[in-house]
Amino acid sequence: MAAHCESGTLTALLKHKGLEITEPMIFGIGSGLYFGYLSRTPNLSFPMFILRTKPGKLRKKIARRTDIKFNTQRFKNQDKAALELDSLISEGIPVACQVDFYYMDYIPQWERVHANIHFITIVGKEGDEYIVSDSYYPKLARIHKDNLRKARFAGGYLAPKGFMYYIESVPENIDYKKLIPVAIKNTINNMIGVQPPFIGVRGIRTFAKKLQGWPQLTRDIDHLSHEVMKINVFLEDQGTGGGGFRFLYATFLRQASEILSNSALADMSKKMMEIGDGWRNISYFAAKIGKNRDLGSDKLLELSNLIHERADAEEHFYKELRIVVSNI
Amino acid sequence: MKEKDAYIDYEPQQLIMYVEKEDGSFGPIQTGSYISKNYLDDFWEKMLRLRNNLLEQLKKNEITPVYFYKLIHDFNDVELARRTGIPVFKVKRHQKVNSFKSIKLSDLQKYAYAFDVPVSNLFQAIVVEDNENRAETDKNIQPIIVKQTRTENPFLVITKIESNKK
Repeated sequence: MAAHCESGTLTALLKHKGLEITEPMIFGIGSGLYFGYLSRTPNLSFPMFILRTKPGKLRKKIARRTDIKFNTQRFKNQDKAALELDSLISEGIPVACQVDFYYMDYIPQWERVHANIHFITIVGKEGDEYIVSDSYYPKLARIHKDNLRKARFAGGYLAPKGFMYYIESVPENIDYKKLIPVAIKNTINNMIGVQPPFIGVRGIRTFAKKLQGWPQLTRDIDHLSHEVMKINVFLEDQGTGGGGFRFLYATFLRQASEILSNSALADMSKKMMEIGDGWRNISYFAAKIGKNRDLGSDKLLELSNLIHERADAEEHFYKELRIVVSNI
Repeated sequence: MKEKDAYIDYEPQQLIMYVEKEDGSFGPIQTGSYISKNYLDDFWEKMLRLRNNLLEQLKKNEITPVYFYKLIHDFNDVELARRTGIPVFKVKRHQKVNSFKSIKLSDLQKYAYAFDVPVSNLFQAIVVEDNENRAETDKNIQPIIVKQTRTENPFLVITKIESNKK
């Protein structure tokens, strides 16, 4: 298992290739931490927020920064995609595939939603079933070939189009001391740099503000409750490692401080952990008011204020982190 | 998050959480889902209510099966259009009762594929009385099992109703 599907899949493939690396390190040097409030994306039935960079970006940044060579492929022809996958796994090469999470029928039904942004690793095939390693499932799972085909070729937003990749080569040495400051600066820029108002810390504030208008966007109280409770799911359950990826990033900062022998970074990791605790409190609060249908304007304002507090805390944090990194 | 506060005993949905351990180090633990442990019953109640409300509207011919499944799958018109390859204006039209009457079979097939149901399920609701009011998590103890098997004929599905011998 892993905290997050994309970083977990990458970590597993790299470990299989002989590189000892942790999931937080992958997440951190790929500058995965992010915030975006998406209210105008035409494919979304309701506004949503994202806490990590666009799917695929993590891998691309890792490739660019570390010189790890990935072989990536997309397909128009579904039969060809299946043949290519079969050929690779028959050679013993584990292959990561982008899929629609809904079709992962080994996952409990209540978890499965249509989201074309899930990554799994195919490690084998027996008869009509593929053997799958999924970051969100505690053991190896099996999926029927027809289901995998549907999942790989589901249409819609961020359609996978059969996308798959495997690792061709890993460099002998990765200069983490050089990479870490670059990656942290990138994350700081994502969060407090010049960004549109729905991205980064400004995005958190937009989320806090727009949240109060959610009752006007919902069909009924059940719908509003469902959307408010999804705040908890996005922050905790959908592969974040808890606290909306903040705990994962705190662990990265801690590991980075050890590599760089930098006590200031260790202090920052502690602060990031506390920021994550604040997000976790928000997720508990959202779940509670959602369940109780206690969704009047006063409660939404309270929730909004909690989110504003996170924006302030994060803004202060990244400004401090910028100073720490500039001194490395 | 301190390790001692992070453990949630919920075996059906496990996840990895990063925590501060007893010795002050940061690392992963495997734990259960907080929201599923505490609020899953509420989720199922909402889903059941939504499904039943939509079914009532469907029975009264106030909505179309396309609208019914669109809401169940939480798609909007643009997403449904992209998943089916049917233009958005047609997707909108297919949600109107009068226009649905003249829908093409080929379009129905595309919808059925996107909704992951047999085409026949766009014209029927299979309800098993004995299974009603049971939580989805109790599926393995439902007295009746409905199995739908697709055939090579895209318009034919075999629906088998069995008693659960478990």
